[in-house]
Amino acid sequence: MTPVLLVFFYGAITALATGLGALPFLFVRQVSYRMVAFANASAAGLMLGASFGLILEGTGHGATQTLIGGAAGVLFISIAHHFLHDLDVGFGKLRGAGARQIVLIIAVMTVHSFSEGVAVGVAFGGGQRLAALITIAIAVHNIPEGLAISAVMRPKGSSVLSCALWSVFSSLPQPLMAVPAFLFVEAFRPVLPYGLGFAAGAMVFMVFLELLPEAYEKASRPAVGLIVSLTLGLMILFQRYI
Amino acid sequence: MASPPDAVLTVLLYSSLAALVAAAGVLPFAVRAQVPMRWLGCAYALASGFMLGAAYILMAEGLRSMATLPTILGAGLGVGYTFWMHSYSGTGEIETLPDEAVGAIEGYKLILLSALHSASEGVAIGVGMAVSLRLGIFLALALAVHNIAEAMGLTAALRLRRVSLKESAGLCIISDVPMVMMAIVAYAIVAAAPFLLPWVLGLSAGALMYLVLTELLPASYHQAGSGRVAVLVSLSAGGIVMAEGLLGMLVR
Repeated sequence: MTPVLLVFFYGAITALATGLGALPFLFVRQVSYRMVAFANASAAGLMLGASFGLILEGTGHGATQTLIGGAAGVLFISIAHHFLHDLDVGFGKLRGAGARQIVLIIAVMTVHSFSEGVAVGVAFGGGQRLAALITIAIAVHNIPEGLAISAVMRPKGSSVLSCALWSVFSSLPQPLMAVPAFLFVEAFRPVLPYGLGFAAGAMVFMVFLELLPEAYEKASRPAVGLIVSLTLGLMILFQRYI
Repeated sequence: MASPPDAVLTVLLYSSLAALVAAAGVLPFAVRAQVPMRWLGCAYALASGFMLGAAYILMAEGLRSMATLPTILGAGLGVGYTFWMHSYSGTGEIETLPDEAVGAIEGYKLILLSALHSASEGVAIGVGMAVSLRLGIFLALALAVHNIAEAMGLTAALRLRRVSLKESAGLCIISDVPMVMMAIVAYAIVAAAPFLLPWVLGLSAGALMYLVLTELLPASYHQAGSGRVAVLVSLSAGGIVMAEGLLGMLVR
């Protein structure tokens, strides 16, 4: 296989892995209000944990660029939120606030995949030896991201298959961005901290704008606090050890 | 790190400063009879961002030293300790920004909650001092500003119960005294047993995060609405992380 095809192939594997995040929902039948709140809190913790890793890595490449990217991410979500608010958003049979939230989380996760794809490509450019290892790392850490998307979609009535497919969709930019980033490492390297910061800012803002308020509405404060802390901690552990 | 007596004095000085500054929380009430609840919600959102920024800095500091597991386990202990403390003092579900005058018992619980809360802030200041003087002073100043916002919330509840301004200021300071004590204790422990540093870093980060999630954010959403809260929390948390980074470039 040529190196370019190899990078694309590895990128595609990481994207498919995201779909695995929908699997736990095969075993959850009853979707109660409390479960929606718990799922929102889990998604919030997973996304905060992912942002923590992104900011930590971004500031390693360039602190100022990461923060500028972060501010742009916040701005992007608030504009998208306003835009979607005025529009009559539909997602499948779903309309209104629930549909808006699903569109927003898919948008956030898809946009954040662009910078992850760049990260994969740049890392590949660093040396072939690490290639497989980095792919496994990104693929495995995509699974909880699929879980976060499914945790928002499934309680609102989406099927497990559609959760899995949209999760994979949200990671498609990874193989697409990995190839150009690999081919033009030197051109892409300076953009990386902006991208990582942007993804983190967008995710953090999404958490505070949509996920946490909804979680507090239907679950007790200690429950939200414990679930967010637990999933956040697990996400950080996951990223550090895999 | 300065020599031991100087260092403990420094911790005492800055944590006392952070506690005393809380009295400024009554100032808006000297001008207006009652501050709008929406403002208090916004103040709590800013306070949440400050605390989350501080938690990020502490957590990153622990992970930077490659002591991942102790830091994460420490954070778990911090979350667990705060959960336990809430449930055994009966303050886990208390409304921190009440709309109407609360009963005497709940009023006492609000002050107790504020005191328990400040103890965890003290651990953060103490462990920050143990990492570097710069980080300790930075955290003390950030939490001092954060304390003003919290004191505003406590004063609002006290004023509804017709407590005088002078007494409110006194209670705000007194409820922050555990911060001074825990800052010194945390500093002394880490200075005596440096291998505990990542554990205590994680513990303070976990505790601060859990306090934000259970005490500040719910009240803030309730009074100010999710849009305002999201903007203020993101900006203040980002601002704190940026300010610490800038300080790191300027002061070695």
